[in-house]
Amino acid sequence: MNDIANAPDLSAEIAGLRLRNPVMPASGCFGFGREYAVYYPLNRLGAVVTKAVTLRPRFGNPTPRVTETGAGMLNAIGLANPGVEHVVAHELPWLAEQDVPVIVNVAGETKDEYVEVAGIISGSGLAAAVELNVSCPNVKAGGISFGTDPGILQDLVEAVRRVCTVPLFVKLSPNVTDIRRIALAAQAGGADGLTLINTLIGMQIDIHRRRPVLANTVGGLSGPAIKPVAVRMVYEVAKVVDIPVIGMGGICSGIDAIEFIMAGAGAVMVGTANFTNPMACPQTIAEIEQFMLEHGIKSLAEIRGCIT
Amino acid sequence: MKVTVTHTAQIARETWRLTFTGSFPYDSVKPGQFVMIRIGSGMEHVLRRPISIAAVSKDCLTIVFRVVGTGTKWLSERNPGDGLDVLGPLGKGFPLPHARVRTLIVGGGIGAPPLYLLAERVRHSVERLDIVLGFRTAADCFWAEGFAGLGNLALATDDGSLGTQGTVIDAIKALPAEGPEPSPNLKQWDYVYACGPLPMLRAVKRHFAGRSVRGYVSLEQRMACGVGACYGCVCQSSDKSAAKRICADGPVFDWNEVAL
Repeated sequence: MNDIANAPDLSAEIAGLRLRNPVMPASGCFGFGREYAVYYPLNRLGAVVTKAVTLRPRFGNPTPRVTETGAGMLNAIGLANPGVEHVVAHELPWLAEQDVPVIVNVAGETKDEYVEVAGIISGSGLAAAVELNVSCPNVKAGGISFGTDPGILQDLVEAVRRVCTVPLFVKLSPNVTDIRRIALAAQAGGADGLTLINTLIGMQIDIHRRRPVLANTVGGLSGPAIKPVAVRMVYEVAKVVDIPVIGMGGICSGIDAIEFIMAGAGAVMVGTANFTNPMACPQTIAEIEQFMLEHGIKSLAEIRGCIT
Repeated sequence: MKVTVTHTAQIARETWRLTFTGSFPYDSVKPGQFVMIRIGSGMEHVLRRPISIAAVSKDCLTIVFRVVGTGTKWLSERNPGDGLDVLGPLGKGFPLPHARVRTLIVGGGIGAPPLYLLAERVRHSVERLDIVLGFRTAADCFWAEGFAGLGNLALATDDGSLGTQGTVIDAIKALPAEGPEPSPNLKQWDYVYACGPLPMLRAVKRHFAGRSVRGYVSLEQRMACGVGACYGCVCQSSDKSAAKRICADGPVFDWNEVAL
């Protein structure tokens, strides 16, 4: 009986979403849940976050799309996805049966596309929240990423906010000079929460073939190598915004997750680690619980942002 | 799954064989499937390495791989008794012939190992089994005796140091059954299976163009998740309408189904 009375409370509430624990997979690292559901029931997670969904189906970039780097990897998948119509008809209904909150990641090439997809997703009733992927090049602004200009970002978030009836998270790119300005712009645009960080832009050269390893030349760097950058950015952003922050970037264990929570995150996302270990998410949850037990921490609120 | 290395050996230039035992679903393995092996125990290597299954028994599994980078180098340095973390068996294997059919297996270099398991599985059910393996040079050749024990083996090397000088196509044409100028109406084989470099797969498919054979190829691509979630390892369907994940929709495909 003592064990149950002393069991740490891992629950988290983020922008109205009630999560049984603070751990969810990062977008792009979990498909639409089916592949990893083979390894464990998805309702062990705090939430599921889908691959980015665009208006039209996208094949994505030429291969090679992935390569390992020191304690990390580069990816240039290119937002490959079957398009919003297919996702709403075939993926979200299955996810809705898995007894876990579903956060749908939305991407676009133009503001209109984002608005249309976000409207369809939130109107479907099958998403608990929308996560806006703003690391896409804005084709109307010459390809500059939506998430690197505060004015463009605030304008985009405002437009999506008008049609999105579920909690709206904005996923911040770290490839900026001052992420605090971007975070404040997203908040001003009406975001209910922020998720950060997305990948850092990187490159790897094959010195024998004398060309980039990735067909796309550059790709996004993820994995343990980026964790210190991610922790720093979560720390900086959590200090300046009032809305909740979900942290990610190289989390491979409960210990890593605790760093992000202490930096100010209300929840965390685990991405690349799923590739190393399909049980990465459930193991991270168990390790957070273990840490809390060992240190007499009864709820996440006791340590959230405790170093700021 | 945590398994234990029982044997490792270098079997050709830069080519190694490794066998493991331990908790693994050996009897569910189908030829053409692969395993994803964790490299090291820390986080220096975040991606597992996908390696085809070359042979399997009731309690052990053998892989054959080329040392091409840090991960395969680490694997080549494992010793008996070392632990390995493996995922698998993964992927869709070679569709096996149902009736007594004439089968041709074509392997190029490090494409050969999964064809060994395939040859073992089909040798007793097929009417005849021809195996053609191509290597750059004699120093790269491995398991010739083993393959020769499973079917009629013909070898080809670029420099002629072993078997026919030339490509696997030259070796196929040199087979008594085939002849140097096979006509489109010639039907020597019902099933053709190929695994090796992409130019070889294209050449094999081209060689059989217009002939009514069932052709299957095993493809490879850099992978991240290995289970179908990340879409890193795709190829195009032949009508360009869909992405096929080599790890989950393949690695084996009907050669009419994908753009080679």
